[in-house]
Amino acid sequence: MLDNIIETQDLTKTFGAGVAVQSLSMQVPRGTIFGFVGPSGCGKTTTVRLLTGFYKPTSGTLSVLGKPPTDFLKSDREKIGYLIQQFVLYPDLTVWENLNFAASLYGVGLFRRGRLNKLLDFVELRGDKYKLARDLSGGMKRRLSLAATLVHNPELLFLDEPTAGIDPLLRRKFWDYFKGLQAEGHTLFITTQYVGEAAFCDLVGVMYDGRLLMIETPDGLRRKAYGGDVIGIRTNEELRFEHRQQLESLPIVRGKVKIVSDQEIEVIVDDASTAVATLLEWSQAQKLTVAMMEQKSPSFDDVFIRLIETEVAHD
Amino acid sequence: MIRFFKFLIRLSSFMGKELIEIFRQPKLILTLVLGPFLIMFLFGLAYPDQGRTLRTTFVVTDPNSIKEQINTFTRSFSSSLVNYDIETDKVLALEKLANNQTDMVIVIPDAPLKTIQNNQQAEFLVYHNEIDPFQIGYIQSVARIYVDEINRQFLQSMVDQEQGDSKSLQENLEAAIIKTQAIRKAIPPGDVTTATQVADLEKDLTDLHEKLTTFRSLASGVVVSPFSEKVSGLFNVLLSVTGFFAPAVIVLLLQHVSITFASLSIVRETRSGIMELFRVSPITAFETLVGKYLSYLFFGSVLAGVITALAVWLLKVPILGRLQDYVLAVVVLLFASLGVGFLISLISETDTQAVQYSMLLLLASIFFSGFFLDLRMMKEPITYIAWSLPATYGIRMLQDIMLRGTSLPPLIFLGIAAIGIVLFLVDWILLRKKMESQYA
Repeated sequence: MLDNIIETQDLTKTFGAGVAVQSLSMQVPRGTIFGFVGPSGCGKTTTVRLLTGFYKPTSGTLSVLGKPPTDFLKSDREKIGYLIQQFVLYPDLTVWENLNFAASLYGVGLFRRGRLNKLLDFVELRGDKYKLARDLSGGMKRRLSLAATLVHNPELLFLDEPTAGIDPLLRRKFWDYFKGLQAEGHTLFITTQYVGEAAFCDLVGVMYDGRLLMIETPDGLRRKAYGGDVIGIRTNEELRFEHRQQLESLPIVRGKVKIVSDQEIEVIVDDASTAVATLLEWSQAQKLTVAMMEQKSPSFDDVFIRLIETEVAHD
Repeated sequence: MIRFFKFLIRLSSFMGKELIEIFRQPKLILTLVLGPFLIMFLFGLAYPDQGRTLRTTFVVTDPNSIKEQINTFTRSFSSSLVNYDIETDKVLALEKLANNQTDMVIVIPDAPLKTIQNNQQAEFLVYHNEIDPFQIGYIQSVARIYVDEINRQFLQSMVDQEQGDSKSLQENLEAAIIKTQAIRKAIPPGDVTTATQVADLEKDLTDLHEKLTTFRSLASGVVVSPFSEKVSGLFNVLLSVTGFFAPAVIVLLLQHVSITFASLSIVRETRSGIMELFRVSPITAFETLVGKYLSYLFFGSVLAGVITALAVWLLKVPILGRLQDYVLAVVVLLFASLGVGFLISLISETDTQAVQYSMLLLLASIFFSGFFLDLRMMKEPITYIAWSLPATYGIRMLQDIMLRGTSLPPLIFLGIAAIGIVLFLVDWILLRKKMESQYA
């Protein structure tokens, strides 16, 4: 089922004269991992708060689980899990007690020991269940918060910067968890300022200065940033100015050729899968020996910066 | 049915959480239980069941002439004038007073009899070095009683002397009466006028004799102080200082603990950010508040039980009334106090602010609840402040039930219950607003 679990139209939230979110329109299909990427202060958390019903929109419409969040009933709220940016659970309670508290908060039945243990296994905290929360490391606290978010098995998860401030290894583990949750049928709306994490999402919304710039698949983002696929070519011979000119005149090539070194260049094409054959033919015609020709996958940091630069240039 | 179970489960979330947090602090619990008990115990030891003993210095010009009288007088004031000395120099005595070597200086008037015979009052000058209005009042009372006693003893000695002197007067009267009777018999018949005059004289002399007989038959103490007093209470209970103050201490402690715990409860959650989670979760303001009330009511009741048991068994404080009345009074006191605490928590921005408000309320309760000063001494508008404090109702209820043995005073109970209910409703509204404020 690929209906939309979240839909917004021209969603705007202002605080006094400041605009936190401006005319945000998007659809999040059920069962996807939707990444919400953008720099700090760009309006990601405000958007999550609008979607969870914490904030009332200034204008525009939104529908989460089929209704505006301000009309949520208890039964609707039971379908939502919300991981707040900072650790808000109780430091003087143990891991197990915090989890029990969260379960009771959502009215989870009393025969829940098995589920809680399973969750602790999932976030690898079973061995620490009797530790006080204040004695946990930052990463463990984050995992406990995630377990508390999942305690009532919510249909839709809002995870606000779940990987902020934790080491890359643990971040990777978190994304493994998220993939596992998606496989179980959950929809995940994840905000992050680590743009590289966009690679793990099905869809990525790029947020900048309160505006949603685009929603794309990770590959789509790259294409949008560079205007097509990037192909790297390295030859045994030196690549001269004429070669570059000829390449830029080819109909499959978009824009300027990027020089990496004397023998290596990068070209942007419409479709890498069909362009490779044409480029090989061109090389042979130029009597160039191709040492390497492959589709490049620019880092999302580069993609993001390029997108933002384009946006700023537009403004 | 499922919804109701979920409601109960959500209530239990806060009940469990709050209690675990409290019971995870054994030192705190020990302090809460043993602290008040020790305070009451030490209070009982510190203040004996009698007034303060005043070290007194008498200033007299001729000590030898009056030493015996001073001894006699001070014996009758054994409780308040045990330690005394005599000085001849007033300046030296006042220096001792200034140096806190004595508490009171009494300057005995020179030649008091002469002054009295000159139709003037002989004045005792009493000096003290107090600033506490209650201590000043105490010294004034002691001085007044002291002078009254001197007046009484002076009069009594005068009466004794006059009763002795009147003996010869009475004998003279008896002789006069006999003579008058002889004269009356010697008057010739027909001289009615003279006979009537002598008869009247005889009657007057007989009356005077009878009055003298009565005067002489009376004890001098009765003549000087014909009236005495005997004070009895309706409730024939003799209480120690600890016994009297114990209910008030229990009330103040329960109110303070309830207010402090409750006042920190919501403000901490607001500041930690977990309130955001509550707003998104299905829990309501009502469930949150009821859960918190129940957990603290439970804890407060356990605390009250332990402190009361210690007070009754170890300090021998009585509970003369019915136990169920006592329990009901404690529960309603906790309920109203928690309402105050949650109100503080909802209007405070920080933990520090909440603690400050709680301390202010404790201070107000000590001064206005009748803990130290009787409410009947208070001026009218201030009594409204007094009756807005749960402790005022609590002290009245517990003193009546524990010390007088009466049942729960219905008006007082209804008053505090009404305060509790109003506070619960106000807290509920404020918490709802807090949990929904971001919607605006």
